[in-house]
Amino acid sequence: MAALVLPAGLLVLLLLVAPMLLLARISLNQFSPTEMMVEATTAANYLRAIQDPYYQQVMATTLGVALGCTLLTLALGFPAAYWLARMQSRWKSLATILVLFPLLVGNVVRAAGWMALLGNEGAINAALKGLGLITTSLPLLYNTGSVVTGIVAVVLPYMILTLASVIESIPRQAEEAASNLGAKPFTVFRRVVLPLALPGVAAGSVLVFILCMNTYASAVLLGGPQFKMMAPAVYDQFVRGNNWPFGAALAFILLGVTLLLTVVGSTLLGRKYKTA
Amino acid sequence: MSMPAPSRLLFHAVVAAAFALMLAPVVMVMVISVFRQEIVSFPPPGLTLDWYVNAWDRQEFARGFVSSLQVALMATLIGVPTGTAAAYAIARGWLPGKGAVNTLLLSPLAVPGVVAGTALYMFYLRAEFWIDADITATLHGLVAAHVLLTIPWTVRLVSASLAQLDRSAEEAAANLGARPFTVFRRVTLPMMRPGIVAACLFSFIQSFENLELSLLLVGPGRTTLPVAMLSYLEFRIDPTLAAVATVQILLVGGLMLLTDRFVKLSRVV
Repeated sequence: MAALVLPAGLLVLLLLVAPMLLLARISLNQFSPTEMMVEATTAANYLRAIQDPYYQQVMATTLGVALGCTLLTLALGFPAAYWLARMQSRWKSLATILVLFPLLVGNVVRAAGWMALLGNEGAINAALKGLGLITTSLPLLYNTGSVVTGIVAVVLPYMILTLASVIESIPRQAEEAASNLGAKPFTVFRRVVLPLALPGVAAGSVLVFILCMNTYASAVLLGGPQFKMMAPAVYDQFVRGNNWPFGAALAFILLGVTLLLTVVGSTLLGRKYKTA
Repeated sequence: MSMPAPSRLLFHAVVAAAFALMLAPVVMVMVISVFRQEIVSFPPPGLTLDWYVNAWDRQEFARGFVSSLQVALMATLIGVPTGTAAAYAIARGWLPGKGAVNTLLLSPLAVPGVVAGTALYMFYLRAEFWIDADITATLHGLVAAHVLLTIPWTVRLVSASLAQLDRSAEEAAANLGARPFTVFRRVTLPMMRPGIVAACLFSFIQSFENLELSLLLVGPGRTTLPVAMLSYLEFRIDPTLAAVATVQILLVGGLMLLTDRFVKLSRVV
């Protein structure tokens, strides 16, 4: 039996664990403009990343966008998940496939779609001009709004599928009992559906938050050159800056902050789940 | 829940907005791929399919498409068998440290593509130095990286289908005298098929559309389709790129419909 696990286990050890250990080691090295990298054991890269106002700003943007997108995705995704979970007609499998399909199409393709919709000559500006509502194009692309729109669209399917599977397991009778006893629809939602769906809310939000923190394509293509989030900043250090130790430190800071907030978030939600 | 009319309206508006957000960009890309004018403007002056020919003539897209197909196929061929074997052993075996092994195999899903991609890039450069052969910007380098996508997806999907299996069928076969291998081949394996089919679909597509893991591992001679599209899109969106994206959309859609004939996708995920 152990032999069956070995090939997959060794592949992950070789291709993920070993490279991560190497990256951790590199993050403690010293950058040298002439030799690229000097062996050392220093926390200087981490300290620089934490103290540099530029990277503080990049991290603040990333956190703000990720938190905002997670909340927005939850607000949009919950009704959609409820609708999907309570659907009984033969269209249900089609609706599920319509949620799954954009998820599988890929981030770059969907970012391209948003560029065509939001650009100066894009569909939305053209429609507004055609209706005579505006004369000059609205700057819809290359700002925080376009990045948030793009990210929410990318992560919505994950949220909906996670929530729908949990809502499906909530017996309909629980809701019917509450409304038969005189609870208004909003009370049924707040006192019955939401508490029972909290594990799904926690799982979906954590998954979506991690995806948002690590956004690359949406940030680069819909944010433009001025808009900086952490994932593109990490790559820049390797591609343009060639400062490997600093790039490695940035990567671990991104990973650490994401994990920390994920743990804090799930603990808080978990506590709420117990008291609810 | 029976809701009063205004709330019901709001509820359905939010549901519609969620679906519009998910589907609008996909539909938009397909629409502009047939616009006649190179500079996208609405309404289009006419329609044409010439951009599809133009896209194939551009080497970066044609080569990227072939590369992505090769990488996705090979990563699936490596990841699905190894992942399935591991998932079977974890679900049915007497394995010490099962939980830890399971966590290890699923861990590539938890490490962001950006971090794993940079780590692999550094690792490849170090390994190139040791073995004196190219790994970055090669097919096998990319395939190895994408195995990190196919193994966890396979383990997750096959484990889920194994968990739903009724073990009494296996026990019945064994009680009727079937040898362990026969039980596996004639009972367990057929029941695992939906999970394995879904694992193939997800592995292939996750690899085909992956950007973050591949960004640093491509090179002048060897790029993947998403990376080629990204560098083109940093300058403009035009019908040529939309045509490339549409081909990817149709490929994914086709694979989904094909898979759906064998396993109901709405039940797998």
